Amino acid sequence: MTSITPIVEKAIAQIRASFPDCPLESVPDGGGGAFVTLNSVPLGHPWAQTDTWIGFQITFQYPYADVYPHFVRPDLKRADGQPFGPGLGQAQFQNQSAVQVSRKSNKLNPAIDTAALKLLKVLQWLRSQ
Amino acid sequence: MAPITVTPWRLVLPEAMKAELFAHLFPGDNDEHGAIILAGVCQTDRGLKLVARELHLAIDGKDYVPGRHGYRMLKGEFIQSRILRARDLKLAYLAIHNHGGTTSVGFSSDDFASHERGYPSLVDISRGLPVGALVFARSAVAGDLWFEDKQRAPLKEAIVLGQRRELLYPSPLKTTQVRRLEFDRQSRLFGDAGQELLRSLRIGIIGLGGAGSILAELLGRLGIGEFVLADPDRAEVANLPRLIAARRMDAIIDWLPRGLRTRFARYKVEMAARNIRRANPSARIVALQANFLEPDVAKQLVDCDYLFLAADTMGARLLFNAIVHQHGVPGVQVGAKVPVSPSGEVGDVFCVARKVTPGHGCLWCNGLINPSRLQDEAVSDEARRGYAYVADPQVAAPSVITLNAIACSHAADDFLFQVTGLKNQDAQQDWFRWNSRKGTAGYDGPRRDLECLECSSVDDSRLGRGDFFPLPTRAK
Repeated sequence: MTSITPIVEKAIAQIRASFPDCPLESVPDGGGGAFVTLNSVPLGHPWAQTDTWIGFQITFQYPYADVYPHFVRPDLKRADGQPFGPGLGQAQFQNQSAVQVSRKSNKLNPAIDTAALKLLKVLQWLRSQ
Repeated sequence: MAPITVTPWRLVLPEAMKAELFAHLFPGDNDEHGAIILAGVCQTDRGLKLVARELHLAIDGKDYVPGRHGYRMLKGEFIQSRILRARDLKLAYLAIHNHGGTTSVGFSSDDFASHERGYPSLVDISRGLPVGALVFARSAVAGDLWFEDKQRAPLKEAIVLGQRRELLYPSPLKTTQVRRLEFDRQSRLFGDAGQELLRSLRIGIIGLGGAGSILAELLGRLGIGEFVLADPDRAEVANLPRLIAARRMDAIIDWLPRGLRTRFARYKVEMAARNIRRANPSARIVALQANFLEPDVAKQLVDCDYLFLAADTMGARLLFNAIVHQHGVPGVQVGAKVPVSPSGEVGDVFCVARKVTPGHGCLWCNGLINPSRLQDEAVSDEARRGYAYVADPQVAAPSVITLNAIACSHAADDFLFQVTGLKNQDAQQDWFRWNSRKGTAGYDGPRRDLECLECSSVDDSRLGRGDFFPLPTRAK
């Protein structure tokens, strides 16, 4: 199996540094990238749950490739009982049920749009729903 | 760093850089002027190639001053900052000055003496990266490159990439031109020397499907001498009508048991090689039955003289664009789009030929490499199966041979007039687009991002970085 490339390792280290209170797990995806799962990420309003895990794949094409989609806990529910809006749907991540968060970035600057920044944007979007 | 093999070497120089350098060297005062070029190092099976990345002009009287031993010299401070930059960016260092004359030039004994005094210690500072000099006349250049252990090698040729591919030598080449009867009609356009030039070129074609198959046929019949072809796919019944000279048995072997009939279908690169050999039996062909994104495949394409990208994945576009800028290989991306909505409505049907050279037409700057589709392509089928919905890049899009033929003919013709030097200096450079439904031809002007990490010369960019910068291939 191909090991994780240095540039993907660096992206994982940046995420770890950006979320020091959230335990991070990463496993090689076999092609030079990695499946990453960040645990105990605070969710906040408008969700019924207080926290979630959030998983995603950083592929060998990083930093040119957009890091998407992201996946969160499968039992995610809105506090007001309303259904999900666009961009959220039931799926599977690493053979486990999950809610998929689809936020594409079609314009991307590989110098500044890091996997950590994308994760922050996804969490901000989740909290704004 | 692996030791660099000492061989006669080539220099690739973008046209805009040559124009800026020549305006500085030959302002009309018949005097001598100086500069430094920092260049990427590419070690290839055809010898060492340096790709000019940065030009540093020496200001007369400040950086270029009366010499202690010769007429003029670059000042120590000017040299020091550039040699340290070359070391840090892993680039070769080339000190430049000019002499009089036109088509022949060489170093003086004073020049050689100064190289012998200075270059061994500059090689030490650069930590083994080559260090040397170029001397230009108006239509000639000579070079003297130094390596570790006082080894040195002369410049073989300089290749100027622009509207016309220009070759500069220390003195006019003495060539024996062989008249080849089979190419008589076309060589009446560009001469036996032009035909010999085509024979000397190595061309890469990435993707040998509907578009690449046509390119192989056209370029084979032009008499190109050497090809590197890359495509992992075998022929299928559904693509036979678009592959030149394809036969049913290329896709289906009828006499085999039913389950095996398509398993041994012919590779598309083999079919293209067959067509090229039929047109030009002496062509040398490397047919790679593998994906362009594999590091070993990409490595065989980095020293082509011209690249044709006829594979429409985002990963292939990213890597092609990277090779053009990092290794100084001009190229063209061809493609066609036939949008059909789920309800069967046909949108604007068009084909394009987008020429990409260092300094012109970066695919990344122009938003032609979609980051989300790059991610989709890199995710395995197994992982993607669990996703809620992701556009499947494997879904077959409509494809029509006539559209491919228009884009490929335009691309091959543009290449022909560029390499033979017949293109007008003010010829159209924008990207060709043919709209079949409207019956209109047009040109799209490519944009340029001055901070692009692919094509600009900002510090972290890929431009002219040669072997010491990673290409966006699959990990090994």
